[in-house]
Amino acid sequence: MEDERAITVEKVSKYFKKNAEKTFVSKIKKGETNSEILVALENLNFHVNKGEMFGIIGLNGSGKTTLLRAIAGIYQPDKGEIKVKGKIAPLLQIGAGFYNELTARDNIIMYGMLLGLKNEIKDKIKTILKFAELEEYTEMKLKYYSSGMRARLGFSTALQIDPDILLVDEVLSVGDISFREKSFNAFLDFKKKKKTILYCSHNLSMLSRLCDRVLLLEKGKMIMIGKPEEVISLYRKKSSENKK
Amino acid sequence: MSNFPLASILDKKSLIWHFCITSIKLRYRGTYLGVLWSALEPLLMFVLLYVVFSSIRETTKEDFAIYLITGIMFYHLFVKGTMAGLGSIVNNSSLLKSFNLKKEFFPVVATGSTTLLMFATLVVFFGLMPVFDFSPTITILFLPIVIVLLLFLILGISYFLSLINVLLRDIQQFWGIFSYALIFVTPIFWHIEDVDGILVAIHNVNPLGQIVELGHMIVFNQIPSLEQWTYASVLVFIIFIAGFVFFQKFESKIIERL
Repeated sequence: MEDERAITVEKVSKYFKKNAEKTFVSKIKKGETNSEILVALENLNFHVNKGEMFGIIGLNGSGKTTLLRAIAGIYQPDKGEIKVKGKIAPLLQIGAGFYNELTARDNIIMYGMLLGLKNEIKDKIKTILKFAELEEYTEMKLKYYSSGMRARLGFSTALQIDPDILLVDEVLSVGDISFREKSFNAFLDFKKKKKTILYCSHNLSMLSRLCDRVLLLEKGKMIMIGKPEEVISLYRKKSSENKK
Repeated sequence: MSNFPLASILDKKSLIWHFCITSIKLRYRGTYLGVLWSALEPLLMFVLLYVVFSSIRETTKEDFAIYLITGIMFYHLFVKGTMAGLGSIVNNSSLLKSFNLKKEFFPVVATGSTTLLMFATLVVFFGLMPVFDFSPTITILFLPIVIVLLLFLILGISYFLSLINVLLRDIQQFWGIFSYALIFVTPIFWHIEDVDGILVAIHNVNPLGQIVELGHMIVFNQIPSLEQWTYASVLVFIIFIAGFVFFQKFESKIIERL
């Protein structure tokens, strides 16, 4: 079983310092400020199997993005260890890696290279634009693109990288219905190829349709991991309790 | 993490190249003259200093113009390069938070795009020679070596500045003033044999000054002695290696601060 695991997260904790930014003036005013510790992730233990579509849900600030960043190798965990098998393509933030003053073509090259490709990205531009349905806008500067068009461009490029593991952080929610349907199918294709997807989203219906398992985070702690319906209903229950 | 400068990003050559080209494209975006500015900046600075100094001095040494443009070329590249290096990590924080990139990539790209900028500066440099009736001799062939020293110096300092800027943004203000001071303490519009005291003392530890002096010599048909080459190189490489060691030690501690 061990070699079927794409991602293993073992006892992982991550802390941030609050008020890390002090200025000379504020230091004089307040004297010594104790910088509080913010627990972003606390003692997480789970694994994701190869070929699995794994959802992550939780309220804003529950640690979803921090977790994805740690898996992508951007953050180093303060405790514990993360093991990853295969090539990762992180699709974490729309806009990062995109340049407004460049054309869609130049942006694809840039984005593809940031995701780890070399010059071979240049042969894939056509396929990417076709999938994103943006062929007419190839030479248009990105500043004239809508946010949905940007998301389509980013997602289509990430798919063409053909990674073993795709990390998706809520970037598809701005796409229109037809593109959502398309990315839904792309996810299914991905699964057929035994590729792994980690998907962070607030789109619960999409999660329950797609995911094999879902992880619920709350303030950096793991609350539940299991079948989408069960986890999502607990999440709904918890958030309605919060309202009261 | 590899223990040699640049080793960890060797497999990213195509990305580095693409980034350098892009940063040049973006630097002059929206301006009418575009990349011409990269040549105009040192040229205008030259014109300004030339007009001022050839009118306040009664006797200017022969070929003062060429002497001046040599210094300005190195100074201009140094300031552009270190300023780009200074902001390289802070300005790319969203990239660092979204992609798993080696942090060393960014100061290297900053120095890389300065290298591209250099070609525009060289056009100005060699373009001014016939204007002032000057023709370089064979000693000018040493120029690439001097330029390589300059680039190592820029990268070494960028290793320091890019990280310090994350922890202490005040360095931006400081480096602005420091660069301003450099134009006075570097032999750009004065000759080293005409000054003494503090300017000489500063010159002896100023790697940019040493590089500019080497530049002056090879432009004016002199071959620097082995001692002079060694002194400048040692100064540059001490800074370069120290910068790299500093970068390696602290680079893992900055991502959460971005």
